[in-house]
Amino acid sequence: MSSGDLKFYYFDLQARGELTRLILAAAGRSYEDIRFGFDKWPEYKPKMILGQAPVLELADGTQLPQSLTIARYVAREAGLAGSDNLESAKIDAVVDTQKDVNETYFSKVFPEKDETKKAEELKKFLDETVTKHVENLGKLKKAYSKDEKYFVGDKLSWADLFVFQSIQALLQAVPEVKGKFGEQFKPLMDAINGNENIKKYLDARPQTAF
Amino acid sequence: MPSYKLTYFNGRGRAEISRLIFAAAGQKYEDIRIEREQWPALKPKTPLGQMPVLEVDGVELPQSAAIARFLAKQFHLAGKDNLEQAEVDAVIDTISDINTAWPASSSDEALKKKFLTEDLAKHLQNLETLGKLYGKGGHFFVGNQLTWADLRFYTFGQTCIEAAPDCLNNFSWLEQNRAEVEKQPKIAEYLKNRPKTSF
Repeated sequence: MSSGDLKFYYFDLQARGELTRLILAAAGRSYEDIRFGFDKWPEYKPKMILGQAPVLELADGTQLPQSLTIARYVAREAGLAGSDNLESAKIDAVVDTQKDVNETYFSKVFPEKDETKKAEELKKFLDETVTKHVENLGKLKKAYSKDEKYFVGDKLSWADLFVFQSIQALLQAVPEVKGKFGEQFKPLMDAINGNENIKKYLDARPQTAF
Repeated sequence: MPSYKLTYFNGRGRAEISRLIFAAAGQKYEDIRIEREQWPALKPKTPLGQMPVLEVDGVELPQSAAIARFLAKQFHLAGKDNLEQAEVDAVIDTISDINTAWPASSSDEALKKKFLTEDLAKHLQNLETLGKLYGKGGHFFVGNQLTWADLRFYTFGQTCIEAAPDCLNNFSWLEQNRAEVEKQPKIAEYLKNRPKTSF
């Protein structure tokens, strides 16, 4: 399979693109990882289906927008989206739960310019949102997992990769969040960090601000 | 044969998409509607302290989109292959973005008005773009047949029209799409008989 059959367009950032890159890495799937700076965005924007990024472009030119839609599509292609409809749904439930928390950070904490207000929002985020989220993830894992490492069933899914990436991204942005996750996700983080394909990708990926 | 139980408030909100999927599929299910006073007692018993929740085969699923996608796939309303399913998901996520951007619960009336008169049209244009690209020249969003993308736009469209009756005036493809959904016999029957609620 040549890399010409799949093109992934996104900024030279992790942000909303990294999950798809991780899934493709886990799958050992080659693709064109097209990265651009903000200065180049005016050139790319008119070529993107909704004028937004990321976009996944297939060999026949079909474009998919929406970061989680793209991630779910490549995860399904790679067998990382559950072995039946109910498992896929459990995975989606974990993904949506993580997404809700990420969006809370990006809408309430990240854009706040006033330093005092930002510190207040961050404290609220850590004390309330993250605390509840860790509890929620624990509940879902207890209900859906057949394994000490993975969220759903007994194998790696894109839900695991999304939680992994989200925790890493949050740790980079807010180092003080480290203590909130305790040890319960350590088996998962270790498994993902130790996965041969993913390790190779993580060692080689560009370092970006976020 | 699995049994299905859907629990939500007595309103359309985040559960109506799933109710429409059940209706389109002609599938029986328990449609549990909780009054606001009952919610505090029920909340700690739900997976995430939120609704809707779908109970199927002894498994509890939270998250309205995860529930709806599961049901759509059960009843062949999700798109015929992985690519069509992704095209459907793209429409769903684009609608979700509109809800995120819409300051519906704000007390700032000017802000709400600005959204309705200036921003909403750009979002609706995005939806028309997807429908025209993925819809293969037909009236449905994806692949020339009814999927939950059409049902989702149907419920969303109702919310838009209630807030701004002329919001679809410049979007004849979107208007036609809703008309096609309403014409489906099982949907028409469901719409006629469903409880009238304020949200």
